[in-house]
Amino acid sequence: MRADTLRTYKTVHTWTGIVAGLLLFIAFYAGALTMFKAPLARWAAAPVVPTSATYADADALMARTLAEWPQARADFTLQLGDGRHAPHRLRWQPRGAALASEAMLAPDGTLAVGTPRMADLADFIDEVHRTAGLPIGREAGTVVMGVVSALYFLALVSGVVLLWPTLVKDLFALRVGPNLKRMWLDAHNVIGLLSLPFHIVMALTAVVFGLHDVIYDAQKAVVYDGRFDRMWAASGPFAAARPDPAPAALLPLGSLVARVQAQAPGFAPHTLRIRDAGTAGAVAWITGDQPCCMQRSAQGSLLLVSAVDGALLHGEYAPGHRSGWMASVSTFFALHFGSYGGAPVRWGYFFLGLAGAFLFYSGNLLWIESRRKATRRGAAPVVQSRATAWMAAGTVGVCLGCVAGLSLAIVASKWLQGHVADLDAWHRGVYHAAFLASILWAFWRGGARASVTLLWCAAAAAWALPLTTLAGLLPVPVAAGWVPAATGTLGVDAVALCGGLGLALMARAAARRVRHGAADSVWRG
Amino acid sequence: MTRAERRPRTRADWLLQSTAGAVLGFTLAIALSGLFAWLGPGGLAPLNKYQFTMWMVPPLWLGVLSAVFLFRSGAAAWVGLGAANLLAFGALLAVQRLGS
Repeated sequence: MRADTLRTYKTVHTWTGIVAGLLLFIAFYAGALTMFKAPLARWAAAPVVPTSATYADADALMARTLAEWPQARADFTLQLGDGRHAPHRLRWQPRGAALASEAMLAPDGTLAVGTPRMADLADFIDEVHRTAGLPIGREAGTVVMGVVSALYFLALVSGVVLLWPTLVKDLFALRVGPNLKRMWLDAHNVIGLLSLPFHIVMALTAVVFGLHDVIYDAQKAVVYDGRFDRMWAASGPFAAARPDPAPAALLPLGSLVARVQAQAPGFAPHTLRIRDAGTAGAVAWITGDQPCCMQRSAQGSLLLVSAVDGALLHGEYAPGHRSGWMASVSTFFALHFGSYGGAPVRWGYFFLGLAGAFLFYSGNLLWIESRRKATRRGAAPVVQSRATAWMAAGTVGVCLGCVAGLSLAIVASKWLQGHVADLDAWHRGVYHAAFLASILWAFWRGGARASVTLLWCAAAAAWALPLTTLAGLLPVPVAAGWVPAATGTLGVDAVALCGGLGLALMARAAARRVRHGAADSVWRG
Repeated sequence: MTRAERRPRTRADWLLQSTAGAVLGFTLAIALSGLFAWLGPGGLAPLNKYQFTMWMVPPLWLGVLSAVFLFRSGAAAWVGLGAANLLAFGALLAVQRLGS
């Protein structure tokens, strides 16, 4: 390869990395957590009295709610409980009301109607993942991250071009030694190259998720010759429903599920959106887990059946029934969400996500090291440029602020549950407060010294999870009922404990470097 | 002038090349996806083919954006990608006229 081509792609790699790197760190760290957002949300959730959650219970909940609130028949969503942590919930949007209503069966069999929680901890973690925590709303944040992901793709291509001439020589070389920059570069290269397929998939899918509206609008304008709206409407799942006002009862849920499973083997439904209940045209849009296959959404596969006889009406979002076009597209969704293969894939994605976060962190370190001015022997001590000092502070502040902030938001969610009116505002508040404080501290103290404090803070924030679980043993009213609920989520505590240990080890190493590191390093305090 | 001796890239080259890749790369990808929509298997008829057609755009667009820096200058990038756009949109227009 020509030398000037290499130089060009080096510039491209540097600039895309600088602009996108820190936002991608946040997206990847939070994305790794989203692999386990369900256990995390269960860890933080208020203890519930275990209720039975059979299909017959759900039938009773539907019958009682629809009798008492007939307007819910037009369109409601039934979220099935798991019989241990979560009860069945039935949610609908009353006409003219700002907030949705939610009905549950209390243990004594009475109907309890209230307002559903607007968003929970799982949604919050997901939003940080999608928007990198930018406080500009989910929609705008996702568009920004779509653009950032385009830069990320450029960084991947240019990174591979840079590595190409020495690929074989460098790939499996991890030169640990006095040349720290060489070691960081080797680590950056080996992780980037070995997880390259994962990163290419993530970059391309994230561009689609962020910019699909822009692409559809452009195609609608110039490609489809005025036919796009018709194609769009025809492909919607509810277009397959055939309204029929003749009265008819809903099929009991147990039978409905059995008929669905006969058509979609291994399908385990968890959410049903039912329309026109009580009529012969009633349909159920069912979301469920089908671990055999590449599933369209992070929540699983989806299919539309008649709620009266269970006949399949629309299977484009379900393996085995979808067209080849949707099979290809759904595969890419599944490759982004890790919604295939069950727990081993989720763990794989968790570690690939953390490795991705390391990739962006180490990229920034390399940027700093490449601009390092070395002290010549016998010469006066050099002063590193302001740019590298700021980059060091910014990298440390943003990355560690995100890590600590997410842990603190998870912990705050558990302590504040039921004691504050708007829990979601507290998630955001705690996360952003920790994030901003971390950045301010890093710029005030400088990257080197701040890194030690901030690493200890991040470790403490991670350890706050298992400590919170232990606090359930204390005779304080806020922790009442925590212990029995904790037995199902001890894995969360174990991972947080290990994560905290890792951060503590890094804190000790950083402290050593501040004291004994090379005098011309930005990391010497 | 041999390749090795070509003039160094200026700030304007960087700007022009990046914008050519970002803008003309995007429009080229839209036009190519449009050709696939009309001429690919089944034409416009298959249910949900439009989703696949949308997914084609980012790899095409970013492929062009990644390769645009191989042009010798910013002007060459705009001329080259502009010509490719004209061809692709001309073909799309012809296909639409014949097909509808």
